Amino acid sequence: MNTAGERAAAMPAERSGELLRIEGLHSGYGPVTVLWGVDLSVREGGITALIGSNGAGKSTLMRTVSGLVPARAGRIFWRGAELRDATPARVLGLGIAHVPEGRRLFGAMSVEENLLMGAYLRRNDAAGVARDLGRVYTIFPKLKERRRQAAGTMSGGEQQMCAIGRGLMSAPRLLMIDELSLGLSPLLVEQLVDALLALNREGLTILVVEQDVVAALEVSGTAYVMDTGRVTQHGESSALLADPAVRRAYLGAFESQGVSTPRSGTIVV
Amino acid sequence: MFLQILVNGVVLGCLYACIAAGFSLVWGVLNVINLMHGSFIVLGSYLAWGAYHSMGVSPWVTIAIAAPLFYLMGYLVQRGVLNRVMAAPVLVTLTLTFGMDLILNNAMILAFKADYRKLILDPPLGTVAWGSVVVPVDRLVATVFALVLTGALYVLLRRTRMGRAIIAVRLDRDAARLMGVDVPVTYAAAFGLGAAMAGCAGVLLALIFPISPLSSIPYLGKAFVVCVLGGLGSVPGAVLGGLVLGLVESFGAMAIGPEHAVTLSFALLIGFLVFRPQGLLGKRGFE
Repeated sequence: MNTAGERAAAMPAERSGELLRIEGLHSGYGPVTVLWGVDLSVREGGITALIGSNGAGKSTLMRTVSGLVPARAGRIFWRGAELRDATPARVLGLGIAHVPEGRRLFGAMSVEENLLMGAYLRRNDAAGVARDLGRVYTIFPKLKERRRQAAGTMSGGEQQMCAIGRGLMSAPRLLMIDELSLGLSPLLVEQLVDALLALNREGLTILVVEQDVVAALEVSGTAYVMDTGRVTQHGESSALLADPAVRRAYLGAFESQGVSTPRSGTIVV
Repeated sequence: MFLQILVNGVVLGCLYACIAAGFSLVWGVLNVINLMHGSFIVLGSYLAWGAYHSMGVSPWVTIAIAAPLFYLMGYLVQRGVLNRVMAAPVLVTLTLTFGMDLILNNAMILAFKADYRKLILDPPLGTVAWGSVVVPVDRLVATVFALVLTGALYVLLRRTRMGRAIIAVRLDRDAARLMGVDVPVTYAAAFGLGAAMAGCAGVLLALIFPISPLSSIPYLGKAFVVCVLGGLGSVPGAVLGGLVLGLVESFGAMAIGPEHAVTLSFALLIGFLVFRPQGLLGKRGFE
């Protein structure tokens, strides 16, 4: 997919380990501007979390990167090469898969048809698609059991597995997941997180939007805090987790209830 | 007598299903009510008539020519014209196809005159009889072809890459874009398939009904009724709706006279719109 020129341009960025870089990004819908100059960098091989309250622009940021929403100003670089104004098909072809908010499965299609839609662009790679289908079924055995079932009739957790599996079927380098845990039981979230950590260890870079700030900061190496269309804080997740300002803004409720953080051993840096 | 009417109804119903399947696809996937559908059918009939009477090409062969030809025509109409206004309200596309239908229909009147023509196979294929039930062979073959074409559309939508893209765009356009589907191209493919189904149906109908540009409106009306009966946007719905309409017309014509068959089908349309607007199999999602 990559031209020689893109590969050459990508060289310096790859040396620094940076996969995606966003500079001064403005974006929005119709007359409404949602992003007001976002700067963000995603390091290769890591897990980057994007946290912030509702309406902060996290989803819009992902939708702009994947080309669903046109950028108004600023730049997006993928491995050093300009990515802004690329079509969703091109973004996906370059290696960025987007698991959208609300999962957005094709409800009337079977689980397997949904997964194959994820591999829509790999038309000349039947062997690779079959291999990745097997891999998704190994990661999420539930999906194999239900592969003939209409995706819309499954539980929320199974649908999220299917949505992530569909994202993986494009064989991406970067997986962007919008709202991993929304509406799912803690046990299911735990399973999904374990699966993602395993994928990350195999080399998949992950950018995740997550409501559960504690979980997001524990699992990720780097995190960005967004508020009203801007990045207000960023840094190592462990540092943000210890930051009094972040704790007050996002974790106050947990501390006052005396709830201990559940997965303190799984910090990935 | 009962069996004869039943067989007539089923024959008619299969042809109606074939007429409506493409119309339903375009309406369901693109949210475009293609008022040219009836004229596409008539154009297919003229193609069959011209190919047979001037070049001796059998209608069964003409189907294989009509399908790619009409697909290409539909594809180009969608890419060149309709894709420009897909974001506009449905009334805009409706008006646009209405205008293009006027042009196409009047062009056919100029080219072929408004005279009724008939494709007459020579030698005739005769009839088959089972007991008291008699069916002309050409009708029987046309029915089988109508079923095969409708079935082929179903398989194409379910089993091919292009078909899955069409269904994905219908179910969730933005999610389909995230899978890398090119939406304007997929719209054009869906419209092309709708046109191909219309053209092939026209070839089959040329064997049974007289050909005239004036037939386009009744054909369009049938497509409408079948879509409302069966439920919009599914091939099985079109087959079910077609069969119901064929049987109702067939038995209705027997009971209250053939001159009331059209009244009956539109009464059915109104009844369904009032009491069951989603149709018999109506649901979201093209299958």
